[in-house]
Amino acid sequence: MSVLFSGGFWAFVCVVAGIYTILALGLQVQFGFAGLLNFGQVGFMAIGAYTMAILVVKEGWSTWLAAPLAIAAAAAGGLLLGLPTLRLRADYFAIVTIAFSEIIRYVATNDTSLTGGSQGTIALGAVGTASEYNSGWSSFQTHVGHALGISTGDTTMLVIVWVVAIILLTLSWFALRTPWGRVLRAIRDDEDAAASLGKNVFAYKLQALALGAALAGIAGLFYAWEFSFFSPDDFQPLLTFFAWMILLLGGLGRVWSVPVGALVFGFIFAGTRFLNFPPFTWVASDERAYIRLIIIGLIIIVLVVLRPQGLLGKRREMVLE
Amino acid sequence: MSALLEVEDVVRTFGAVRAVDGATFAVEEHSITGLIGPNGAGKSTLFATIAGSLKPTSGRIVFAGTRIDGRPAHRVARAGVVRTYQAARVLTRMSVLENLLLATRAHPGEQLTGVLFRPRAARAHEQRGLERAQELLALVGLESYIHEYAGTLSGGQRKLLDLARVLMVEPTLVLLDEPMAGVAPTLRVQLLEHILAVRRDRGLTFLIVEHDLDFVMQAADRVVVMNQGRVLTAGTPDEVRANDQVVDAYLGTTR
Repeated sequence: MSVLFSGGFWAFVCVVAGIYTILALGLQVQFGFAGLLNFGQVGFMAIGAYTMAILVVKEGWSTWLAAPLAIAAAAAGGLLLGLPTLRLRADYFAIVTIAFSEIIRYVATNDTSLTGGSQGTIALGAVGTASEYNSGWSSFQTHVGHALGISTGDTTMLVIVWVVAIILLTLSWFALRTPWGRVLRAIRDDEDAAASLGKNVFAYKLQALALGAALAGIAGLFYAWEFSFFSPDDFQPLLTFFAWMILLLGGLGRVWSVPVGALVFGFIFAGTRFLNFPPFTWVASDERAYIRLIIIGLIIIVLVVLRPQGLLGKRREMVLE
Repeated sequence: MSALLEVEDVVRTFGAVRAVDGATFAVEEHSITGLIGPNGAGKSTLFATIAGSLKPTSGRIVFAGTRIDGRPAHRVARAGVVRTYQAARVLTRMSVLENLLLATRAHPGEQLTGVLFRPRAARAHEQRGLERAQELLALVGLESYIHEYAGTLSGGQRKLLDLARVLMVEPTLVLLDEPMAGVAPTLRVQLLEHILAVRRDRGLTFLIVEHDLDFVMQAADRVVVMNQGRVLTAGTPDEVRANDQVVDAYLGTTR
């Protein structure tokens, strides 16, 4: 239990919540603003993380060139996915997106020469060499730590992730309030009405999908930098649904509900790690992992039943027809 | 007067059903043209085909000398043909004002590039939109609801908002889909007055699908009667009223 009282552990929880914030903000742009039911968000995260790692390890690129290209690759993935599929009805589109993210994961698992396969980024470089993609990031992180007078890496990462998250949240908040954001909300609520007022629904959906994908790409970068190693298994569909839970917890259609949802989710998730007291000790520890997911699910169900509009959502907007 | 809209031999099928089966008629510039017919005559399908939400299976639709059939709905709207829906499709979770601001044309702030690089042009456009929105809300008598959610308006008020919103687009031809359905009798008179005033002051042309024959006969210069996907007859309200076929089509009698 002592880990519960360690600052480092909670800093880690907050770093992960920050990464989830950026990931779920992408969904908020796509679904909360534009009504796109994307169940493949984790695929764009994988594209971001892998593009950066491959460029740095295999092509010897600088982190600072590889990172923007990785974000662009995630956005391009959104465009490529959207071009043939965005004219589909919402439910069909949702199915295609989940297939898309699984395709990305299977390619990452099987194209060993490109991604290192199921062994993950350890196997990115030549055999016998430990392939590191995050030395450039680590030195940057150390510099920032020194400049801020912070001694631990965890805390430095915490500051960096949340500064970036807050910048992205602010930009999204601003974007939603522009006439551009107004068109997105109109499309979310009634795309036929928006089209009959002269709005190019397809072009706006494509923009929202690509921007949300770029945000997932950024989340992927931070994920890669935080863990210094990752494999295709890190990009299971479950992660997309974590982001959806964050969205539902915080509230749909609002920007600042995302970090609130992510922090609440992060604390529920971390808090249920410590089920090492009866009755949980009556079952084997590997089974306890499943009990934990069940408990997380129940907590979220209760929260959503008590506050269907989310923690920061407007109830009034749910009942207007 | 010349034809602003020409519908030529338009067919629209859904599988084996020929919902519109070779409809041909014209809408004169500055006219109010009524489109009537029994249920299932193909009026709504034809409307959706003109507005671009459905592609015609065959035939031509010419607006102001240009073919618009097969264009997507947003491009038809930008060309100046704007439709309303039978149940007013106001955006309920937006304010009345936002519903109107949404409808302005060529707003630089609606493009991401405009937001980033032309913020002053976007603000100026928004300001002009605001003034126009206030003017139109005064016209339809909804000015006191400007900041309310559109979802709090009654059905009749939504029809008025829809009309105001269509006018925000600055259209040339307005397609009204059953503007009188669900509107209280007192509001009907008001709505008709608005339509007549708008035509007079702004030189608009209206094509109106409506089941309320009294309204159509009172408002329209010309009436087009559809039955079973085709145009049965067209003419002035008096001519149409005197036509036996029309009576048959409505009463469902067969010769």
